[in-house]
Amino acid sequence: MEIFKDLPDITLHFSATVGIPVYSEDGQKLGGLVDFFIDYEEIYPSVLALQYKRSGVLFYVHWSEVLRFSYKKIIVKREAYSRRSRTFPKTLNTKTVTSILANQFAGPTVEYPPLGQIVLDKQIVDTHGKKVVRVNDIQFIRAGKDLRVTHAEVGLRSFVRRLSLERPIDLMIKAIKPGSKYLTNDTTINWKYVHAIPNRNVQKSVRLNLTNEDLRDLHPADIADILEDLDSHGREMIFSNLDPKLAAETLSEVDEELQASLLENENPEKAAEIIENMDTDDAADLLNELDEDKADAIISNIDDLEIQEEIQELLEHDEDTAGGLMTSEIFEVTADTSKAEVLKQIKQRYEEVASFYDIYVINEHKTLIGTLSLQELLIHNEDVQVKEMMNESDIKCLFVDTHWKEVAQFMNKYNMVTCPIVSRNYELLGMISVDDILDRLLS
Amino acid sequence: MKEIKKTILANPFWTKLVLMLSIIGPGLVTANLDNDAGGIATYSLAGAQTGYRFIWILFPVTVALILFQEMSARMGIVSGKGLADLIREKFGLKVTFYSLFFLLFADLGNTMAEFAGIASSGEIFGVSRFISVPICAILVWLIVLKSDYKGVERIFIVGCSVFLTYIVSGFLVNPDWNEISTAIANPNFHNITAKDFPIMVGLMGTSITPWMQFYLQAAVVEKGIPVKHLWHSKIDVIVGCTLTLIIAVFIMICCAATINKAGINISTASDAAVALQPLAGKYAGLLFGFGLFNASFFAAAILPLAASYYICEGMGWESGVDKNFKEAPHFFSIFTLMIVVGAAITLIPNINLFSILVYSQIIDGLLIPIVILFIIKLCNDPDIMGEYTNSPMQNFISYTLVAMMIFLNIPMLYFTFLGN
Repeated sequence: MEIFKDLPDITLHFSATVGIPVYSEDGQKLGGLVDFFIDYEEIYPSVLALQYKRSGVLFYVHWSEVLRFSYKKIIVKREAYSRRSRTFPKTLNTKTVTSILANQFAGPTVEYPPLGQIVLDKQIVDTHGKKVVRVNDIQFIRAGKDLRVTHAEVGLRSFVRRLSLERPIDLMIKAIKPGSKYLTNDTTINWKYVHAIPNRNVQKSVRLNLTNEDLRDLHPADIADILEDLDSHGREMIFSNLDPKLAAETLSEVDEELQASLLENENPEKAAEIIENMDTDDAADLLNELDEDKADAIISNIDDLEIQEEIQELLEHDEDTAGGLMTSEIFEVTADTSKAEVLKQIKQRYEEVASFYDIYVINEHKTLIGTLSLQELLIHNEDVQVKEMMNESDIKCLFVDTHWKEVAQFMNKYNMVTCPIVSRNYELLGMISVDDILDRLLS
Repeated sequence: MKEIKKTILANPFWTKLVLMLSIIGPGLVTANLDNDAGGIATYSLAGAQTGYRFIWILFPVTVALILFQEMSARMGIVSGKGLADLIREKFGLKVTFYSLFFLLFADLGNTMAEFAGIASSGEIFGVSRFISVPICAILVWLIVLKSDYKGVERIFIVGCSVFLTYIVSGFLVNPDWNEISTAIANPNFHNITAKDFPIMVGLMGTSITPWMQFYLQAAVVEKGIPVKHLWHSKIDVIVGCTLTLIIAVFIMICCAATINKAGINISTASDAAVALQPLAGKYAGLLFGFGLFNASFFAAAILPLAASYYICEGMGWESGVDKNFKEAPHFFSIFTLMIVVGAAITLIPNINLFSILVYSQIIDGLLIPIVILFIIKLCNDPDIMGEYTNSPMQNFISYTLVAMMIFLNIPMLYFTFLGN
């Protein structure tokens, strides 16, 4: 028997199905349709079971036992097995589970929540349009014997439909402006771009196939915008699923106020990994915003001892002074290095060092004894030593406790792109580049 | 400098105080909005007509206000979502749409009442309404649009402090404090007559309004208060509501000690300010009028703001004063439209504002128990509140209060229609 015999449309809407009476084959009324259980692992999920309600109690019945599905009534097999439950136990052995997928699930069955409860009227991330939207309706399509989810609807038309005003408004618009776009188009999101955010309790008891693969391809700035638009729970959920590198990039893009709260919610190990992936000066600023205990816990979890030490040093300085602004990722050489050697070192270290415009020359006590600009270096022969090229008479540097405004004036006066920062006994500690100062000036 | 900062922060008391001050704001601002143009009118009339007899009612009303606002603030902090957001997620689009539709209508009426308050308080100082209303409308618009949340909140907190003028007025009229404390501590229930009913209901109805619940939650969310500061936010609500209570009490004292004793009949808040001048001295009257202006001005800013928040949340549009027009077009359009319409209607000559006010009050009265029921339901949902759901005691008191509100709303509606 054809299951959709009495269903004229190929597509149907969630809102139109709510309340359809569910009958047993022998004519006994079982209840009214409430929601659907779908296979969350599929790109266009098929309906696995129907949820219906009888005198306030929720039941589900497998799709395979549904004989007829139409707007008027749903008929299920006489001996259909229906169970009282709010969720649907999805057995995973019905499907070949790859080893990667298997890792995501704790046991052989997972409790699936109903579709409407996690998507309808909820905020979702539209990973194609890169924004957060609220879902008005869900669109299904008849595909053979199956019913599959294809779109989330977010437009005006679905909105009107939910208010049960579709027909009168349609008539009105047809009368006024028959060619109106409203009648034919509605804003929908293809299901493969729908990234749902289940609420707290659902998330605890169920694992959906919501890895962040779809989010991974987005630009960190877009992810940051999305995070800002979500509520705290959705934010944490998405952020904690990002890998440390992407999390670090995203963190640099979000609002300052949000940065701290996002990092605080991570465990110290993960937070430390994120911090390691950030620029040390940004990382220090961020750690400064956290509670001291929390920040200490994160710092002690940093694996890379060099980064750990740098951050600790940066943290000791006041935010408003040169020390708070500077980065300790600088390029320093000793006076007896040859040009060829310097160029070789640049090649090796270009990833970790912030800028090569100025090369700082230090002695064995790490004291700043000279500076060498990149252009100066380039015009000399390969075998010339740094000490012959460097400027040592008039070294422009600032003490670590200089206020940032003075730093700005000083760098402006001497047209400096970067400025070395030293301790009171001229030990080289770091440098400030003009864009660090610009950030401050503009905020 | 840094050393000083460190030592200050090392002292737990100062750390707590600094933290406290950074959390305080939403509750204080929201509670003070209770004393808007409508609120001041109600308190003035109550004081002028019944003297000190019904001051005591304000105390239980404040307890209810604290209870309801604490729930909204808690919900905002724990869920990070606005009230309309949560109503939509839990009760669906249809319920949300129709509740918000009527709420918007009521709030448009309330906004007109605030602009009318600006107009009449301006006239006390001899400023024509055709000057005061347009200027204030533009100012209100600029304040909210051209600054971020923190700036808006700061301006509002300064506005709150102006309410203290009522306390000064209260002392200037030199009331009989003995009589007042007896009336509060030992109210006489025997001399309550049917004629007093509208005043009693009015005092309760003006304090707890639907839009304040929406505004408070939206403000808490926009401020981004973390869950660990839940307790501070409770203090914020309690301090705000208590301050509101004190000011309301002083407004009633002001009018009771002078207008009531002299037996003068008044029908509006500006009448009260004018009547106060010969009775209690020019300054008491002028301060009273200035207080009315301040209250109307800030409520005229926050009412449209609250409306923009809840409409956008419910409909799924972007919202927030921190955004710009391009990011949140609906938000700023609704805000602008409410101010323009609210101010313009006040300026139409010979318009009967009274019937508009009556209808918006009726809608408010019908909606508030519904909104509070939504709030209680949401506050008991572990999906939303996690471990911070209501305690059984909170639920018991809240349901009792809602039952009382419904019970009291019936006579209120009856009297408003009868008075019409």
